[in-house]
Order: sequence, then C-alpha cells, then structure tokens
Amino acid sequence: MIVIDSVEKIFNQDTPQEFQALRDINLEIESGETIILSGVSGSGKSTLLSIIASLDRPTSGKVMVDGDLISKLPDYHASKYRAERVGFIFQHFNLLESLNVEENILAPLITSDIELPRAKEMVKRAMRVASIEHKSKSQIRELSGGEKQRCAIARALVREPNLIICDEPTANLDRENSIKFIEIVKTLKQEDRTIIIATHDPLFKSLDFESRVIEMEDGTIIDYE
Amino acid sequence: MIKNSTFLHFLTILIFKERVRHIGVVAISIVIISLLTSVLSLSSSIERTLQSALDRQPDFIISRVQRGVTVNTPIDWIDKISQIDGISDINPRVYGRYEFEPKGKSFLIIGVDFFDEINKRDLKELLDEVNLKEFFSKDSMIIGDGVREFMSEHFYDNSFSFKTPNGKFRDVRVYKTLPKETNLISNDMIIMPIELAQEIFGMGEGEISDISFNVINNSEWDTILTKIYLLFYDVRVTTRDEISKGYSSLYNYKGGLFLILYIITIITFMLILYQRYSMVLSSERRDIGVLRAIGWSIKDVLRLKFYETLIIIFISFILGVVISYIYVFIFDAPILSQIFLGDENIKNMVSFRPVVEFGTLSSIFLLYTIPLLASVLIPVWRVAVTSPKEAML
Repeated sequence: MIVIDSVEKIFNQDTPQEFQALRDINLEIESGETIILSGVSGSGKSTLLSIIASLDRPTSGKVMVDGDLISKLPDYHASKYRAERVGFIFQHFNLLESLNVEENILAPLITSDIELPRAKEMVKRAMRVASIEHKSKSQIRELSGGEKQRCAIARALVREPNLIICDEPTANLDRENSIKFIEIVKTLKQEDRTIIIATHDPLFKSLDFESRVIEMEDGTIIDYE
Repeated sequence: MIKNSTFLHFLTILIFKERVRHIGVVAISIVIISLLTSVLSLSSSIERTLQSALDRQPDFIISRVQRGVTVNTPIDWIDKISQIDGISDINPRVYGRYEFEPKGKSFLIIGVDFFDEINKRDLKELLDEVNLKEFFSKDSMIIGDGVREFMSEHFYDNSFSFKTPNGKFRDVRVYKTLPKETNLISNDMIIMPIELAQEIFGMGEGEISDISFNVINNSEWDTILTKIYLLFYDVRVTTRDEISKGYSSLYNYKGGLFLILYIITIITFMLILYQRYSMVLSSERRDIGVLRAIGWSIKDVLRLKFYETLIIIFISFILGVVISYIYVFIFDAPILSQIFLGDENIKNMVSFRPVVEFGTLSSIFLLYTIPLLASVLIPVWRVAVTSPKEAML
C-alpha cells in the first residue's frame, strides 16, 4: 500500500524562479491497484511519480510504501528501493544507446548479487513478457518507437518489482503500439502488481480492466473516480 | 571489489562497446608510460654500468698542481708515498685525451702497465685474451668500438699514426677492439702500454698523469690524507667519493628528466580531465542518470567507472612498458640514447644492460593511475550526486 501524506514540492525554493509543482497531495493506493494519473502537461503528474519512485524528494509531507518511509531515504537506500521495488517506464524510454536490448535489460541486475546465469534467465523472462525477445541482440538505434517502449518495459520488469510506474508511456507511440502497451499493463495487473500511469492519452479512460483515474491540475488532485 | 560474474560481464561489455572512446586515452597513456619507462630504464641501466665501473676505482688519486692546474706528476712521488703505513696498491697512471684535430674529435688514451698486478686485476677479462709477447713485439693498442668506427671511416683500419707534441708521427697497430657491451665506458678509449702513452703525450720518462692507491682501513683515511698534505705542498687529492659525485653530476639525469616528464604527465592529465568533463556533460551524463534512475547508487556508478578505468590503465601500462623495453633493450634506444650520452665527440652505439626496477615501475604506475582515476571519477561523481532526473535531461 502506498500512502502519500500532505506532499508538497517546490522547485528553486527561495529564488526568483521558485515554482510549486505539488500542493498538499494526499492519496492512498492499495496493493494491486491500477492508477491513471490524468491531467495536462505541468499539472504535477511526473513530479508525483518521481517522488513515489524516490527519484526526487518532497519539500514537505511524506510517502510510505508498504509501511516504509521512502520520501527521506539516503541515496544508497533510495537506490536499493528503486532497484528492488520499483519498475519505472519513462516517456522517452531512457535506454542506454551504446548497449543492445538484452544488455539494457540486464543493467538493473548489475547491482544485485545475482550471478550471470540466473541474471540471463531473468532477462529472457522479462523480454518474453514484453514481447521483445526477437530483438534481443538489436542495437537501440535500430528499434522502432514501440520496440524501444517494450525494451523499457522489459527493463522495468526484470527484477519483478511490485510497483510499476509509467510516465506518459504512450506519448511517443502510435495507436497500435499504445494498445499493445495497454495489453501488457493488463497482464501485469493480472499478476497483482500495483501500477501507476501518468498520461493524458484518452485510451486510458476506457480500459477494460479495473482502474482508478485521478485528475490533477496545477499541482493538486482535483478529482477521484 | 567486483561483486559477481554479472558485474564483470557488464564491465567487459561496456569496455568493448565504448572501445572507440577509450582508444584516445589508451594511446596517450601508452606514449606517456613508454616515454617515462624508457627514460628511467635507460638511466638505471647507465647508472648500474657506471656503478660497476666505480666499484673498481681506487680509494685515492693524487696529482701535482701548479698555478691551480693539474700538471704531470713526478714518478718518484711513488717512493715517498710508499713510506706511509697503511697505503697499498700504489699505481702510476698515464692518461689523457688525444685530439684528432682535422675532425675536432678526441680519444681517451690510457697507458697501462700490463705487468702490474692491479691493472691485471682490473683488465682481467681482457688480458686473459691478450698475448702479451705479441702485444709488445710491435707497438699495439686495444681500442673501443667507437674509436674503431671512427678510424675505419678515416681509412685507419689496422693502425693509426699518432702525432706527438714534437711533431713526429708514431704508428701504433690495432691489436684488438673492446666488446660493444662495454661501449658506455670504453667507446672512445684506447689502451696501450704506459711507455707508449708517455711518448704520445710527450711526457718525460719520470712523469706520469697521477698516482692511485688504496687505504684498506677506512678509519685511517683522514690520517693518511694529513700525511699526504704534509709530504707534498703542490698536491691535489681526489677521493673515491668525489669521483662518485662527479659521475652522478655527469650522468644522473634521472632526477631532472623525471621532474620534467612528471610535469608533462600532469599537464596532459589536466587536459584529459578537461576533456573528460566535456564528455560527461553530454551523452555520458545522460547514461549515468539512467543508471541512477534504474536503481544504481552513487557507489555503484563509481565502482563501475573505477574498474573500467583501471582496466584501461592496466592495458596501457603493460603495453607502454613492453614497448619501452623493446625500444631500450632491443633497439638500444635510438635518439634517446644520444640525448643521454651525447654524440658531440665519437658516436656511441651502446648496448644497454637490461634492468628491471620494480620500484621505478610501481612509481610510474602510481604516478599515472592516481591522476587518471581522479580525472575520471571526480566528474563522474559530480554527475552521479545530482538528481537522476536532471542528469537524464
């Protein structure tokens, strides 16, 4: 369960460029729940995701994940949390261009104590789930947008995290690939993982599986479904 | 420490995939390391050879001084010195430089008493191969390799005509050439009977260049010196320590060159550091941000870069050292040997005695490793500590 309690985020605090991205966010997300964070660009969706993924810290308030306070973790523990418990899918995929698909998916396992044969098995499994197995040896620059997306999904899933966070996952995809992505999300949902998706893609408003839409505007939650 | 096989696998992949980017650093590193190693190996080899020559030097050398200039020493000084208790191995020496005026070159002529026990000991290896009867039957000389080269260039293959100070020419036959391995000391050397050397230098029979002797009991050195100064008023005494210092100032380039090379190395690394900064600000900065975002800690990123750089350093170091040893000890360090030994007189084709100094190699390794690691890890650390989101932008 994720508990977000009175979270605020101010960028460039006490400078002329000061900007408040989040204002008094309070939210509870049950384990296995699928959340669609909706809202226009600049509404604070990505900032909220970053805080839940411990990529950023709130200016005030706290975030608890399964009872652990993750909003004030020191670097080592924050990294460990991201590596073991969170799978993050970025809007721009953020893949390592110098490596091929398989090597990109292997990257999150390097910091673990998992030996190579087991790691390779895990990579294969993640590629199978994301339907990118056939491109395992391809270089990133050779992939289409949809394939890059599936590579990013496999990388997010390789350590089998319970929490999947997706930031505008279909923003760079065509309709066909967006639907494929939703199918993958549906599979993950069936595996009882908690999924949080920030998007303004209307496709997510009519999902054929149970999800909760949360509308954000100007750094605040304006509507719960 | 390398965590496991997965880490090692990933490290190997990264190095291989980014090999083009590493080539520049490896190439610069090889040049710097091989240059440093060549200079230090050369200087160590020269130092060792000279040290072995120095070990054979007498404890004291005395010569006559007039008007502040060393002049010929009367041979009867030997009788006077031999009266002093504690002195042994007294030996007259005749030597000097013979100027080959037309070319502005000179040879070092050493007159040797071949029947003297001390000389025999010093020249043991050589004298074992010399048939003394044949050697003395005609006026003969033993010459260094550089002298042989020079003479044959000027059509003196088997003998040479020395011009004495009274204008007469003295033909001396070449009996033997000294081995090339001794070139460092003997390149411009001519060894001949002491009487012949006296004649070529125009010295009287009772005159010699100087007198060498040993004092077995080191604690008596000061007492002996006092007695020498009481015996002669126009004497200059040179001790073995002074000879050693003379050698050091002549050949100990090590300190100076090492310092210069160190400065060059540091400047190069500063440039690499600067270049590294620029690179980190672009694609590498983004990659570090991605790794951080997918769960790598700052320590994990630094560990990866540390081992990556260390492997590059090892490859560069091994290649640099191997190249330098081939250059110095197989090809006899062309150009560099001339800088060290000078070729303003007779060209010296030295074969250097192979020397491996682990202390020196370790110093080069550290001198190289620490700045390079710093030049990589500091910028990487600066990126790693920023927010992964910012780094990925």
